[in-house]
Amino acid sequence: MTAIVVRELTKNFQTKRKAAGLGASLRALYRPEYHTVEAVRGISFQMEAGELLGFIGPNGAGKSTTIKILTGILYPTSGQVSVLGYTPWTQRRQLAYHIGTVFGQRPQLWYHLPAIDTFSLFGKIYELDDREVKKRIQFLAEAFEIRDLLETPVRKLSLGQRMRCEIAASLLHRPSLLLLDEPSIGLDVVAKQQIRDTIRQMNEVEKVGVLLTSHDAGDLEALCKRVIIINHGQIVYEDKVSTLKRRHLTTKDVGVRYAAEIAPDFKIPGAETIKVGKYGAKLRFDTRQTPVETILSRLAAAGAVADITISDPSLEDVIATIYQQATPQQSEVGEN
Amino acid sequence: MIRRQIPFLLALWKANLQAAMEYRGAFLAQVLGMMLNNAVYFVFWILFFDRFKQVNGWNLNDMLLLFGIAAGSFGLGVFLFGNLMFLGDIIAKGRLDYYLSLPRPVLLHALASRSITSGLGDFTYGMISFMLAGQFGADTMARFFLGLISATAVFVGFMVLVQSLAFWLGNSSALAQLALNAIVTFALYPISLFDNTAKFLLFTLVPAAFMGAIPAGFVRSFSWSALAQLTLAAIVFLGLAVWTFRRGLRRYESGSAIQIET
Repeated sequence: MTAIVVRELTKNFQTKRKAAGLGASLRALYRPEYHTVEAVRGISFQMEAGELLGFIGPNGAGKSTTIKILTGILYPTSGQVSVLGYTPWTQRRQLAYHIGTVFGQRPQLWYHLPAIDTFSLFGKIYELDDREVKKRIQFLAEAFEIRDLLETPVRKLSLGQRMRCEIAASLLHRPSLLLLDEPSIGLDVVAKQQIRDTIRQMNEVEKVGVLLTSHDAGDLEALCKRVIIINHGQIVYEDKVSTLKRRHLTTKDVGVRYAAEIAPDFKIPGAETIKVGKYGAKLRFDTRQTPVETILSRLAAAGAVADITISDPSLEDVIATIYQQATPQQSEVGEN
Repeated sequence: MIRRQIPFLLALWKANLQAAMEYRGAFLAQVLGMMLNNAVYFVFWILFFDRFKQVNGWNLNDMLLLFGIAAGSFGLGVFLFGNLMFLGDIIAKGRLDYYLSLPRPVLLHALASRSITSGLGDFTYGMISFMLAGQFGADTMARFFLGLISATAVFVGFMVLVQSLAFWLGNSSALAQLALNAIVTFALYPISLFDNTAKFLLFTLVPAAFMGAIPAGFVRSFSWSALAQLTLAAIVFLGLAVWTFRRGLRRYESGSAIQIET
């Protein structure tokens, strides 16, 4: 079953343009100049029910605009959207009963109240039975490991704890689709991992579909099977995360340390030198041109190796490369 | 439709009260402080009427009724729908997104999501003022109740109307502050002090007459004309407020009304 269908979605904003200075400000008062910002430019994609889909892109790429259209907060300039069979901007309230939303930078829990009070309020907002709400809170408290946090006023929770409560709150009414906008923003490594674990768990246990936007390639790697990369309002990449890695992770990084000092102009044929130190160096090479074993034997030939590490570049680097390569005219869209 | 919103509204008000109770000391200080503030202000009128007894047909007892209605309706409005003080800011900063993502009427949800604690002080003061006027007949109390509801509706409607201009102006907080001061200040004076032009303004542009003099007069003595005016004013101002807010919301949903994050 398909949860989201988006066809040729476009969203333009009219914004006032004003040059610098007082004169320009006065002119803008009686004759404002408008210009159009194309935030989303004809994107199309689908998401299956129960899928974990990553929706990533740099700031201003059009992610938040797309999410806001999917929830019915904004209506589009043109295009068709169906979310769980509803047209979001005309059936916003009906749709709201079936989706959960978390905007990482816009808390929904009441700041001065313990989370459990907001949970009860949400029960009323979604017209749930009181007993049902109690049972559901118990379940979510276990799943998200927030039992001890529920009675503490939200202002006293850490960001990570608060975010776990936020996501739990968005699942209170058993939505079949969860839209998460930057859920891991500002979190430390441990808190990020906890958030990822719980999202994955809810996806497995309750089959809730998750559309996740993030800056953090780690979220994507840990959670999503499929990814859509958006830049300048257009889809520049759409494929499985594994394909993304296979296709774009063709280089490897090598860190090597020698028992004795090395020359300042240390070089290995077939590899690019990134950094040279007194005893070691960092290199990068393309495995399609130079096999790993060749590099290893050349490194060994250069001196007595004390330590060596080989790693993939981070997915962040890979995505940055795709952003750079993909201008709006040269989109790369996969088979999915 | 409205009945469906009642449990939801009660839950919101309960949450507001719980949030206020998180700071019990501050809660009490604000409620009592506001009552004291109003009482000190009223001392002026006690001294005034001690000397003049009557001004254009108004006496101290009428002023007690007027303060009962004006302080009561202001208090009720800001205590139950506290975000009427901040709606423009909520609109301008794009914070309506939250209310739009939940399945409840956006304006009602936004307004009732905050409570201004000192409003309870104003409300209580209004009730005390009414009691001091010493009119305890069942019919007077019923008229006071009706007048209070109508005045609250006009006050809330007027503030929503002004705050909703943020959809077009981007920032309406200074204007809203001005409108608030105007309606509250003029509601607290005997209407017979004003000339016809000023009276016209107090029935239309700044409907202070419906938040003070007209309902207070209705409490003093029943008239069909006053009842019709109160009902009509409540309907017109609430209606205008909802209409303007909805028009603005369409602009908001277009994304062009405010600075938007893409």
